[in-house]
Amino acid sequence: MNVLHIALHEIKLSLRDKRTFIFMMAFPVVLMLILGTALTNAFTSGATVEGLNLLVRNTASDARLTAAWSGFEQAIAKEGVVAKPIEEGMDGREAVQEDLYTAYAEIGDDGIRFYGSSKHTIESNILQGMLTTFADRYNLAAAAIKAAPSDAEAILGSAGAAGGIVRETTLDPDRKPNSVDYYAVVMTTMIGLYACMSASYLIRGERKRNTMTRLSASPVSKGEIFMGKVIGSSFINSMCVIVVFLFSKLAFQADWGDHYGIVLLILVTEVLLAVSLGLGVSYLFKENSAGAVMNVFVQIASFIGGAYFPLEVMGTSMRVVSELSPLRWANRGLMNVIYFDDWGAAWGAVGLNLAFAAAFLAVSVISMRRREAL
Amino acid sequence: MNVLEIRNLTKKFDDFIAVDNMNLSVREGEIFGFLGANGAGKSTTINMVSSLLRTTKGEIELLGRNIAKHPKFAKSNIGIVPQDLAIYEEMTAYENVSFFAGLYGLRGSELKERTIEALDFVGLGDKHKSLPKNFSGGMKRRLNIACAIAHRPKLIIMDEPTVGIDPQSRNYILNSVRKLNRMGCTIIYTSHYMEEVEELCTRIAIVDHGKIIAEGSKEQLKSIITDTKEIWIAVKSEGAVDLESLKRLQGVTAVRLEDQTIKINSKAEINNLNWIIQQLIKDQVEIRSVEEQAPNLETVFLTLTGRNLRD
Ligand SMILES: Nc1ncnc2c1ncn2[C@@H]1O[C@H](COP(=O)(O)OP(=O)(O)OP(=O)(O)O)[C@@H](O)[C@H]1O
Ligand SMILES: [Mg+2]
Repeated sequence: MNVLHIALHEIKLSLRDKRTFIFMMAFPVVLMLILGTALTNAFTSGATVEGLNLLVRNTASDARLTAAWSGFEQAIAKEGVVAKPIEEGMDGREAVQEDLYTAYAEIGDDGIRFYGSSKHTIESNILQGMLTTFADRYNLAAAAIKAAPSDAEAILGSAGAAGGIVRETTLDPDRKPNSVDYYAVVMTTMIGLYACMSASYLIRGERKRNTMTRLSASPVSKGEIFMGKVIGSSFINSMCVIVVFLFSKLAFQADWGDHYGIVLLILVTEVLLAVSLGLGVSYLFKENSAGAVMNVFVQIASFIGGAYFPLEVMGTSMRVVSELSPLRWANRGLMNVIYFDDWGAAWGAVGLNLAFAAAFLAVSVISMRRREAL
Repeated sequence: MNVLEIRNLTKKFDDFIAVDNMNLSVREGEIFGFLGANGAGKSTTINMVSSLLRTTKGEIELLGRNIAKHPKFAKSNIGIVPQDLAIYEEMTAYENVSFFAGLYGLRGSELKERTIEALDFVGLGDKHKSLPKNFSGGMKRRLNIACAIAHRPKLIIMDEPTVGIDPQSRNYILNSVRKLNRMGCTIIYTSHYMEEVEELCTRIAIVDHGKIIAEGSKEQLKSIITDTKEIWIAVKSEGAVDLESLKRLQGVTAVRLEDQTIKINSKAEINNLNWIIQQLIKDQVEIRSVEEQAPNLETVFLTLTGRNLRD
């Protein structure tokens, strides 16, 4: 009950600080607009489906598979993907490595093997997604053939229908982030990290106002004060982030994929990490430097975490450094879920967020216990 | 019964001894005055009583229970009015009181009633929706008090609650303190203003260098200094006054010049008024009036500590 009382108070207190609150909402939205429109070119030249070359070795003997495959080839051709049969004696993998093709696929009765380019990860991921969908559909049809051949015809028939197969897939070539989509994601995660700045003021602010005196003189335990503050601050900052997320989705039609659950989980755990970080740092540094430290941290983390420009543009050393930014984890997790339906990085981000949050909270609790109330 | 019992209380900040082996008891129903110059150790003592600082040594009992062993009990029964304002400027007067009262477990309609009661008590009932940042200094001080009383503590500790405010708010606060006391609260009152303490308190302790150097009712304290008298001589201009020559006169213990008045402390048994006046005439000082003061706390304080309460 005390925790709730303090958390609600913290939320009210944050809402009173209208300037910070408006900044938290307006800043990312404005940046989405500015960067999203100004940097469009950087994205269209980055990776379009147009001009993707898929090298194919088709050894399938099954007539249905062959028919389905040719339907598929026509479908992807309409999207601008050129499927080229491999010549005799040619090594498909080498051709991809030499950058002659975006990817190489071997189609046999036993399945599809796929070799993607390591130089063009996004493009080869797109192709992989298309093929996966094709395989899924074919398997579905194959299974149906045994049971109800007429259904199978329908499934295979639709595989040939242009666009359909591609549009319905989880990896749709149209669903590559355009610049607004990109900045919607990275600005939202960036503003989540900003929570660490207000969090560094959670306890410091009480000291400055001298209200820490009253809090400490009350029969509420330090732990309860602490919990209440963390919960209140995480809640209100999560709300900010969710508002930005919804705004980007509704006003800018930004693409956030279909799995809102994991998207929100990444965002909320990121806020929790930011709040714990701010709080921990406010205990580690002298009274007034904590805010400055957080400010610098946020700027650097945003810069190297891909908030201002996509990391694909950067060299490898920069990519390694970028791993230090919590924004990098969050952005990768989100992008992979949204565009590649790949949840691995997402769970990784959630795990890292929670682990670091726990560590910083522990630091804070230990420092707090050592301190005298005043 | 003693509401508060302090035994051998010591507080060190590194090597500096802020409170030095202090013993003190405050009885139920008292308005207990805590007098001391800047840095005497008043706030440090109070902060240990309200569990804001750890003790270096010694024991504190509230209502018969050791506060270190029963911190929740002690905290629940104390209301503290901190020396520095402790309020949220961006929250309304009502929200301030309600939040702090809520920390003492009050909820719902009870919390509402007590909050309004406390605000009415300090005369801010009609301002409950206003933000303290628009308040005068006196109103903020009153809100500072309201935040400490809504949970109806047995012991209210006020650390200089009237610092820097207008006379009207000061009177309001002094009256509220009396009212709280009549309602059954025991009060510890710290102040720099001698008159306030003299007017308000039933018992007084004088603190100096972390020690209590005198304790008792006003009358008891004043009786300590029956051997001293204070003579006030109003003069036309301060320019010609030679304090040093006055100080050398027999029996004179201290001389100071305030508002064109020479204030002389002197041993009571020596009749030196003639010599003093002769000295002034010799220095060609124009005398307007001469009066002997009844002993007051200021004199007591000066005699005991050798300095003024307010430097
Ligand atoms: N946290 C601290 N660290 C070091 N010294 C301190 C600390 N708090 C107080 N002191 C010192 O202890 C002494 C007593 O301080 P305290 O605040 O108790 O005085 P006070 O009687 O309340 O004075 P005032 O009338 O100015 O409020 C002072 O010399 C002060 O400098
Ligand atoms: Mg003080």
